[in-house]
Amino acid sequence: MVDFEWLTPTSVAEACRLATEYGDDARFMAGGTALMLALRQRLVSPRALISLAGLPELKGLNWDDANGLRIGAFTLQDELARHPAVARHYPMLAHLARHMANPQVRHQGTIGGNLCYGDPSTDPPTGLLVWDAEVEIANAQASRRLPLRDFLVDYFTTALAPDELLVAVHLPPPPPDTRGRYARHMRTAAEHRPLVAVATMARVAEGQCSELRLAVGASSVVPRRLSGAEAVLTGRAPTTALVAEAADTAAHELDALDDARGSAEFRRAMVRVTVRRELTALFELPDPT
Amino acid sequence: MITSPRLHPLAMTINGQPVQAQVPARRMLSDFLRDDLHLTGTKRGCETGACGACTVIVNGRPLKSCLSLAVQHDGARIQTVEGLADGEQLHPLQASFERCGGLQCGYCTPGMLMSACALLDRTPKPSAEQVRQELSGNLCRCTGYTQIVESVLDAAGATHGN
Repeated sequence: MVDFEWLTPTSVAEACRLATEYGDDARFMAGGTALMLALRQRLVSPRALISLAGLPELKGLNWDDANGLRIGAFTLQDELARHPAVARHYPMLAHLARHMANPQVRHQGTIGGNLCYGDPSTDPPTGLLVWDAEVEIANAQASRRLPLRDFLVDYFTTALAPDELLVAVHLPPPPPDTRGRYARHMRTAAEHRPLVAVATMARVAEGQCSELRLAVGASSVVPRRLSGAEAVLTGRAPTTALVAEAADTAAHELDALDDARGSAEFRRAMVRVTVRRELTALFELPDPT
Repeated sequence: MITSPRLHPLAMTINGQPVQAQVPARRMLSDFLRDDLHLTGTKRGCETGACGACTVIVNGRPLKSCLSLAVQHDGARIQTVEGLADGEQLHPLQASFERCGGLQCGYCTPGMLMSACALLDRTPKPSAEQVRQELSGNLCRCTGYTQIVESVLDAAGATHGN
């Protein structure tokens, strides 16, 4: 690893000014779990690292009934997994966070760092999409908010400008009668990068599904909601046949990656089966297999 | 022109003792502990965050010391495997690993002990499933894990090992 300057700003404005000053020669460091691997392999050799550990604006995981959940960008994955408000209002997210990576990485890796890395195979972006997450971004002068789907631009690419950083993720309070699930499909049990990740959220009352949100990650350049599959079940009483139709639609509308980890055809087949299983469990239908 | 890297002053508490040092920004926590402080109980295994042999406890949280820089932990309270025993008196986890045969070659053992120690600090009476979950970031290529899990449960007073 080539040596670098270690910069320790104490506010968002100061951190952003440093980023402006150093430009492409600097990298922000939150927990650092992914960045350390890139540094060690010399995939990146920045002249300076800007630590985000001293920024109070990035801390804190807070719930309030009107505004929902604010996840400070420096929130550790383990904090998301254990926070009582997350378990109560978004149990699917608590489940997701409890199974990310491994315990030591969850004690170091942050939610904000994960999202800024833009790796489509990690869990948070897919899981957060179905809760209509918004991201709060700042530079030295101002802040802006945008939907998470607009933040996730391309493979390992986000909407952040070079002088901007992610301050927090905001989730609106979940609508009434919601249920959610999150699942990964691994090619082998020993793997920790999923081939397919599926997040679902549905509103169900008196046997009718008034809303379905379905996001697929790990098999496209960025995780995305699949609106065609969602429409199959929205406003209907869920049945095994409709779930199968939604799974077919999801496989069809997915813009599938085609790489060494799986061909586009294989990924579509695994999306179909994972979506079918997840929706079957979400709507508590008998498993046809 | 070769210039020596700038050194950053660090103040930490390691195994209850105050430590002051000067390190370049690129010094990894694992190398700082082993090469600068000669605390060689912490092992370098894969050095890619997969195996967990380098696990230490930082401010109560088990971390992989190969995945972070020493400068990230200025001011921290760090526990390594050297801090477990009290003189000649083994830590209950060390005693149970010995009693239950929780190790063979021993290379993963310091990391296993530190992950288990962090678990028991938080959850004094874990289930076998919780032990397996919390040790899932530590790889052992010898034992097949059964006796490691038994060792941790034994230390927690939950069961008796073989």
